[in-house]
Amino acid sequence: MSIDVSKVFLFDNSAKNLVEAELLDAIVEKQLLDWEDQWIPARDEVNRRLKAAGVDRSKWPQTGHWSWRDKQLGIKGSLSNPSFCVVHADETQGLMILDTLPSARLSSQAGKPIVYIDYLEVAPWNRKHLPGDVPRYGAVGSILMRAAIELSLQEGFKGRVGLHSLPQSNDWYANKCGMTDLGPDPAKQNLRYFEMTPEIAQAFINRGS
Amino acid sequence: MAAAAKKTMTLNLTDVEMDALEDLCQKKDLSKTAVLRQALRLYQAVEIRTERGAKLFFEDEQTKEKAELMML
Repeated sequence: MSIDVSKVFLFDNSAKNLVEAELLDAIVEKQLLDWEDQWIPARDEVNRRLKAAGVDRSKWPQTGHWSWRDKQLGIKGSLSNPSFCVVHADETQGLMILDTLPSARLSSQAGKPIVYIDYLEVAPWNRKHLPGDVPRYGAVGSILMRAAIELSLQEGFKGRVGLHSLPQSNDWYANKCGMTDLGPDPAKQNLRYFEMTPEIAQAFINRGS
Repeated sequence: MAAAAKKTMTLNLTDVEMDALEDLCQKKDLSKTAVLRQALRLYQAVEIRTERGAKLFFEDEQTKEKAELMML
């Protein structure tokens, strides 16, 4: 399998400058080892801090139960489940698995194919968990969203993208990405379903996010 | 993000098959190549799931009646 590597830039929040990173169109063993060796301990540390600060468990990171190794195993060999990751400083900064089979739900796009974001997660150190936290790198989520849009364009899906959002991410998808909120989906634990039209996808790319 | 290298093949279709393909292109707003690539992905996805022991059903939205789709 050949892996395509693209140059991207993250914002280093401590140095206050852009740093070069890589977008890979695959999740390989190195990413799964990073998830096990770096993400899980970092996530456990976040949870310890949240517990010590008395934060209610409902407000803890909602991706805590995700196993990227299991997810990757589940899509092994599948043509319809491309995956991506962002790497900087030899560390995996973000992971994403897509599905190219679902269809759009927005009435103006109904039945047309979309790139569906099955899972998207940034490393625990790239998120703000408590007031005063400074995420290490910014733009990881935006780079992955853009990769989903670019794939949608490449496949002839015109930039259409859809996803079910965890409650903590609703605001990001609605307001930062400009996706349309189609409301809670009873078939998906009542997670809200969001979709991006070709026009919104183009606007997202034009913003350079 | 660069597109993966692709290989070219010739596909022979009957008129009826070509009509069906063009109809799908229209409905799905896709090129013929894109429809056929989607069809391959779907066929593979169904094959993987059925090999794992899953069954493929269609459910009538009103009656909730289910019909199993038998795969070759």
